[in-house]
Amino acid sequence: MLTVDHLAYRYPSPAQDRGLDLQALDVQPGQCVLLAGPSGCGKSTLARCLAGLIPHLYHGELSGRVLVDGHRTADTPLWQLSERAGMVFQNPRAQMLAATVEDEIVFGLENLGLERTTIRDRLEAVLDRFGLQALRKRAPLYLSGGEQQRVALAAVTARHPPVLVLDEPLSMLDTTAVEELVAHLADLVRGGTAVVICEHRTEPLQRLPGLRTLPLDQAGSCPLAPAGVPAPQPVEPFGLDVSHLDVRLGRVTVLDDLGFRAAGGQVVAIVGRNGVGKTTLLRALAGLQPHRGTILAGGQRPDLAMVFQNPDMQLFNATVRDEILYKVPDPDMHWYDWLVNTLGLCDYQDTPPLLLSEGEKKRVALAIALMRRPAHGLLLDEPSLGQDAAHKAQLMRLACSLAQAGRLVLMTTHDLSLAAQADRLLLMTRAGFVADGPPAEVLADREAWKEAGLIVPDWLPEVRP
Amino acid sequence: MTLSLVRNQPYTLDLVEASPLRRADPRAKLALCLGASLAVMLPLERLAIFMGLYLLLLVWARLLPVAAKQVWRLKWLLLALFIVDWVAVSLDLAVIVTLRVLLLAGIFSLVVSTTTPGEFRLALERLRVPYRYAFSISLAFQSINLLAEEWRAIYEAQRSRGALPGRARRLAKLPRLRDWVALTVPAIVLTTRRAWAITEAACARGFDSPHRRPYRQLGMGWLDWGLVAGIAATIALLVFL
Repeated sequence: MLTVDHLAYRYPSPAQDRGLDLQALDVQPGQCVLLAGPSGCGKSTLARCLAGLIPHLYHGELSGRVLVDGHRTADTPLWQLSERAGMVFQNPRAQMLAATVEDEIVFGLENLGLERTTIRDRLEAVLDRFGLQALRKRAPLYLSGGEQQRVALAAVTARHPPVLVLDEPLSMLDTTAVEELVAHLADLVRGGTAVVICEHRTEPLQRLPGLRTLPLDQAGSCPLAPAGVPAPQPVEPFGLDVSHLDVRLGRVTVLDDLGFRAAGGQVVAIVGRNGVGKTTLLRALAGLQPHRGTILAGGQRPDLAMVFQNPDMQLFNATVRDEILYKVPDPDMHWYDWLVNTLGLCDYQDTPPLLLSEGEKKRVALAIALMRRPAHGLLLDEPSLGQDAAHKAQLMRLACSLAQAGRLVLMTTHDLSLAAQADRLLLMTRAGFVADGPPAEVLADREAWKEAGLIVPDWLPEVRP
Repeated sequence: MTLSLVRNQPYTLDLVEASPLRRADPRAKLALCLGASLAVMLPLERLAIFMGLYLLLLVWARLLPVAAKQVWRLKWLLLALFIVDWVAVSLDLAVIVTLRVLLLAGIFSLVVSTTTPGEFRLALERLRVPYRYAFSISLAFQSINLLAEEWRAIYEAQRSRGALPGRARRLAKLPRLRDWVALTVPAIVLTTRRAWAITEAACARGFDSPHRRPYRQLGMGWLDWGLVAGIAATIALLVFL
């Protein structure tokens, strides 16, 4: 069904991802292959090769061959390949093309040239199968991440491709949405679809029937911080006090009378379903979101730097050094050296930041936030998104280092393996926090997780108090 | 530019399901647009008559509040236009230019508040606009809110790192060229990436297929022919009588 033979690909610009080398891959109907590896090892590139987007949309250097259902991708028009290999991308929001869920699914069916009655039948079947009937008239762009990923999968599978390629489909989903998606994928595999998944979060996929894992090389592993660099200067002890916090976006109340306290010197993780207001809370703490209620740190307005999900929103300077030092009054170059060393950016100081990999850009964004030396700490919005295990470990080391120096690190995350490493875990719902305490205690509170609409997956390693 | 103008306020309008024009063929609504675009060239007295008729149409179509909201968003532009024309040329010109902009803004809201991007795309296809362009136009139309959101997010991200002045300081001094670079470079990068992601997503679902067959159908009913005949007759009367 899907055969790869001595495949190699290099992007036209050497600054882009590192490309790909793969000797062989063979996937038969009803088989499922997981391509695992660190950032930059070529997972997304391989996914694009399998779906035919490379070489049809990317004009790099391709050698070897990929056969999909007997058709060589390099010689077959993309629209014909798309009938044989469907692809679901990492960011569900970025792949939404239509104004309603219904139109999103119909788009791909129209391109198959099907009769109207067939399109209608397939549309209804796929809406039922993925539980989307109630959402059919909604705008896909304004659904939650989990719902969007279900729509994306529905839109592709409605075309009945014998091969399905998924590029990091779990990275933006909470645990409940992950479990739902994995259940749908298991159904597809049992139904005879050949499924190839490129993913960092490999644990949830282990229960897919007949899963084969193919590790890609370690070319992208990130450099570790050298030993002997000075730690950040300690700050005076303080407490962050949030009380009666109300935030309204238009007519919608996002945060309602929210309150909590956190002491400096902690790493605090906030977990909750998509759309409960986690990012809004961080924006309010950073002073970016108009709100009612009080937010005080040591009796004054907090000085917390925020690192956003998407680093591309901040990068515009010619070099990494200029980017990190931009508009920093009297920059402390010792602090700068500590940051670039700790974040593994030493070799990239003269590189344009927009040419870095996503993981590297994220570390530049972190350096930008910390270069200002925020007095009270750091706010991280989904810091592990799209990051491999090495990057996550590096991030936690930095967070712990800041906490040891008395600063507060507050992060929102869907990644429970990351949240489990924090000093404190807050479980958030639309009504506020339903559990608060050390991760081991909170993760054991099944009632609270049920109330939050989330599940603690079986694969999560046991966290000891 | 301040983003408080767009904060929590989508650029595009919600669909007004209760409007009779919601059931009209998009091609008839495009004919209305075309008629209104011709009417802006009428002299002041006739333009005023057309505006009166247009207001009646908005009342019938239950779209007066929507059109008023859209015009209200343009209040500063309209005021500036009026004052400049009045001071620089004459009161007559100020009135006619302002009425023209009002009419065009209103007619835009009439179409967008009663037509989905999918219907709009289908209408363009039926009018023999190549599918590739019809698809791109409808996609651009539905992405307006998204672009506004991204612009706001970039603004906040840059403000949080101190690359842009805060609200109080913004009032005290004009933004510098470098501040605009801090906004526009990420905006271009994000827009380009989004465009590329859409291209990939569309191609992965057979966008270029020569066998494409539209699922939804359009049909001109009595209401649609009535609208087309009405706008044609009105323009003809106002031009030739």
